[in-house]
Order: sequence, then C-alpha cells, then structure tokens
Amino acid sequence: MKLRTSLPCHLAELCMIRCASWLVPREQRQAWLMEWNAELWHVRELCTPQKGVSWQAEREVAEFCWGAFQDARCLRQADGNGIARVAVMGSAMRCLFSMMVLLAASYGAALLLPGAFVAMHPPKYKDVGHLVLIQSTMAASDTSATISGEQYNTWKSRPRKLFDGFAFYQVMLRSLPDAQGKIVKESVAVASPDLFRLLGVNPDDAAVQSRDGVLPMLVSSSLWHRRFGGDPAIVGREIAIGSDRVRVAGLVPEGFWRLPGKVDAWVLTPDDAIPPDAVGYVVGRVSAAAKYPGWTNSWEMTAPLPNGNTGEFLCVNLSDRMRGPQGLFLFAVILACLALPATTSLPLGEYRGAPRGLSWGTRLRRWSFLGSKLGLLLPIVYFASLDLAHLTTSIDPIKSEYIQLLAAFSLCLFGLRWVLRDQRERCPVCLRTLTNPARVGHPSRNFLAWNGTELICTGGHGLLHVPEIETSWFSTQRWLYLDPSWEILFAESASASYF
Amino acid sequence: MATETKLSHTAAMILQTVNAGYIYGFSVMEMTGLPSGTVYPAMRRLERDALIRSHWEEQSIADEEQRPPRKYYKLTPAGKVTLEASRKRYPLLAKLVPEHQEEQV
Repeated sequence: MKLRTSLPCHLAELCMIRCASWLVPREQRQAWLMEWNAELWHVRELCTPQKGVSWQAEREVAEFCWGAFQDARCLRQADGNGIARVAVMGSAMRCLFSMMVLLAASYGAALLLPGAFVAMHPPKYKDVGHLVLIQSTMAASDTSATISGEQYNTWKSRPRKLFDGFAFYQVMLRSLPDAQGKIVKESVAVASPDLFRLLGVNPDDAAVQSRDGVLPMLVSSSLWHRRFGGDPAIVGREIAIGSDRVRVAGLVPEGFWRLPGKVDAWVLTPDDAIPPDAVGYVVGRVSAAAKYPGWTNSWEMTAPLPNGNTGEFLCVNLSDRMRGPQGLFLFAVILACLALPATTSLPLGEYRGAPRGLSWGTRLRRWSFLGSKLGLLLPIVYFASLDLAHLTTSIDPIKSEYIQLLAAFSLCLFGLRWVLRDQRERCPVCLRTLTNPARVGHPSRNFLAWNGTELICTGGHGLLHVPEIETSWFSTQRWLYLDPSWEILFAESASASYF
Repeated sequence: MATETKLSHTAAMILQTVNAGYIYGFSVMEMTGLPSGTVYPAMRRLERDALIRSHWEEQSIADEEQRPPRKYYKLTPAGKVTLEASRKRYPLLAKLVPEHQEEQV
C-alpha cells in the first residue's frame, strides 16, 4: 500500500470532523461520524489528485469539512428546547458570546502578563500621602534627575522641621555578570540605605548591612528571572558591578518600584559614600506634625543650597504615582465618547409603528442587547489596553501609560462605533443581522426619490432602508415593519427554521 | 400529512435534487452549488420532517469497491407531496434541477 503525499492533509481533515463530532449528541455521534468520514473519502477521491498535493483542491476539501461543524451545531441545537431557543436569537447570542470570549482572552492575558498584573494591583507605599519627590523647579518633568549628592547631604545633615526623612537615588547603566558569567548592562540605582524604609519596606537589617566594604544590593524580580534564571541561591552571593563588588541581599517584588527611572537593581550605599557630584532624585517624608495650609499634590519650597544660599524646589506628592490604571482608562473613555459623534451618527434610526405592535419584552430585549454589548465592551477595552501597554516588562512605566491611554482611546472609540453600527444593522424584533443588501435608486434621482441600500430580515420582520446621501426628507435610516401577509416569502417564520 | 410543510427555496431545491436522483450529500452539493454546511443540516431537517429517509449502503458493495459505505437519501410519499406543492410555489425549481436517473440505490 502506497501512502499519498496528501496524507497529512487527510489526517488534518479527519481531525476536524472528529472535533466537530463532539458537538453532536452522543446517541447520534457514531452514525454522524460514519457519514461524514465516508463523504470525506469520496470528496477526496473526486477533488484531490492521486499524486502530489493540489492546494486548491485541499482548500475545497477543507471547506467541505468546515461544514461538518455547522451540521453538528444544527444537530446540537435541534437536540433541546433551551438550545433551540438560543438558536432563534442565534446572531445576537453569537455576538455576545464572541464578546465574552474576547473579554476572557483579554482578562486572561492581563493575568499572564506580569506588567499588566502589577498595573492592576499597584503597590502600597506606607503613608504615601506624606511622601514627596523633591526636584528643582527648573526641571520640566521628573524624567531627568536634578538633585546633587552634595545637595542631598546638606539637607540630611541639617536640623529639619518639615521633613522627618530623606532618601537619595541615582540611576545609571552598570555592567554586571549574569548567571552564565556574561557581562550585561543593566539599570542600577545607587541608593541611600533609608530609601526602602521610607517607602514602607523594612528589609532585614542584617542582610542590608555592608560587610567588609561589600555593599548590599537588592535586585528586581524581573532582573532575577531575566539574568539569573530565577536561581534562589543568588541571594548572599557576591558579584561585581563595574569595578565594585556587591552582595545580593534580596529581591524587590515585581511592580514595587513606582518612582522615576527604570531600575533593575539598587545598591544601598551609605550617605557619606554618595559622590557629591552624583545627580539623582530625592524622596522626602513630610513630618506628620508639619502643617502648611494650601498643600496640594505639588508645592514649592525654599531650601538651603550647599553654598549657603537658598533655592526653589518643587515637592510632588507620590500619591499620583500609586494610582491604578482605572483613572487613565476613564479619561480615555470620556475622550472617546466626546470623539464618537465625529466618527458616526449616534441615532439608531427611525422605527415607525409596527403593524402588530411590538411587545414590551421585545423592546426591552433590544435595549438590553445594546446595554450588554456596551457593558462587555468597556472591560474588554480596559484589559486589552492594559495588555498592549504591558506586552513586555522592558517598557518604561511612563511610556506604558501613554500606550494605555492611546490604546484605550482607540479601542473604545472604534468599539463604540461598532456597537452602534451593529445595533443599527439588526432587526429590532429578532435581533438577527440584516442580510441581502440591495442597491435601490440612482444617485442622479436623489432629489425626486431616494437612493441607498435596502437590507432584509430573513425572519420576515421587515426591511431597513439606509440612504446613500442624507437629505432633509431622508436623513437617517428607516425601518419598515412587514405585516403578516409577507410571511409566505419567509418560510422559516412560518415553519421550523431550515436556514 | 395533516399540515403541509412550507419549505424555503433552498430546502425545496434540495428536495428536488434528491428526487432527481442525486441521492447522497456530496452529489446534492455538486448539483445545487450549496456548501456542505447548508446541505447536510437541511437534509437532516428534511429527514426529521419525514420528507426524505436515509439508509446505509450494503457493506459488501462498499467492500467490493474498496471504499466506505455511503448513506443514501430517498423521498418519502410525504416528501413527494411537499415537493409538488413547492414546485407550484417555486415554478423554476424543475428547471434549476433537471432529472437525473443514473444513480440507483
């Protein structure tokens, strides 16, 4: 027996039919499978060549097999009344089901992507309302460091009333060996020992003490996984950072760091060892006893400079950095709602009186469907924008916020647009998508008549007229309900549904 | 049949095709040009409504020709009545699907 070269295609098609058979009720499955396998055998004999592979023919056979799913689904639907009822609302239910699948997929991705998971669960710094980032008033933003090590030590050494704690850190690229000994460049912060205590983390004192001149270093969880392969034995090991030796003292959980600058490791350096010319950031904790009327999220203060003069500094509260992505998302949704009228018309069209009168249940179902779509759209946009903003952990938090804002706005705008368009293109009675679009009229006769597209509900509930050009007498789409005398043309409305 | 079953045009065409001698799913597909996802579910519904009936080919015949046995369909008396009614409702039906007597069960 000779094997045909198209055997893998045949096996794949058999698999498709086998998969479809799981939709068929158990008692009919064996006979169904026999029929489809036999038909497939004959289709392959007729369509595919004996030698070689014809992709065109394979495509035709695959399309044939795809029909097995529809056949199986019909059998499944015919199996029970509850499922049959779902079939009547098939198009609308499919739409909602697809949106639920999208929601589950985007939420699942948000749980799996470390960045997105952290963004949904922001860290809680201790007493964050009293923590401020101090920077020069000359700085345009907090993306660049402005405070020198000398300035920091000047403040640290002076008696203070307003602040009861300071910490300094400077971010720079340093070389360090990874698990294989390969030298890689990573973003390392030289930080004062009080930095993490100020943020509310109390690392083991013994672990973060320098021993024999070897400074302790905390590494981020992402660096630990990326460069050290998640090896727990790395804690306590000494490694070289540039020309200095440091000891890995512990791990900082993913997403804990919310201060300016992307940092993968923190070398805890005594204050007196911080170079005077090092330029970094200073975090201060405002004393609980300090009272200053008019404090807002950012305020200016006058503070002494190392040369004895005074300078102006800006104190920015860290609360803004602790916020979750919800605020940004809501902002994007509001922007999208404002932009929506510019991209599509908001009315759902004219629905004149139905000859038989629509029941309250039917009307309620139509509006519930619209509400359900909107209700599903918003969480889809929220999770999908988070996924896009945190596809990799290498994206800077600030850039992530921009990506999230842009993604949420775009997805929300196009999503809302789709929701309205989809609603307009559905039958108000059975909610199925209207089909068989037909061009009606001529553009040249627009003044005397109308021209546009006519769509029909295959359930026989009515026709939708969509004008090509909006005029004062035909400005929006109109729904025309059909009375029962038209039912003869729509067999499925009279008897059991065939198609 | 107490009440006459109203068929859509597609279902009537499939019934006409089976009556014309195209007695298995793929031949109905070829004759009507309809996809498998339409033809097979429609034939199941026609069978459910007792307009057609199916039976499996003898295993010995299939073995002789070294192929799997096929499932064949045939119109029932009720199916013939419904087809007649459908022909009146869709006069072009007979022209769309010409008679074909070669296939025998």
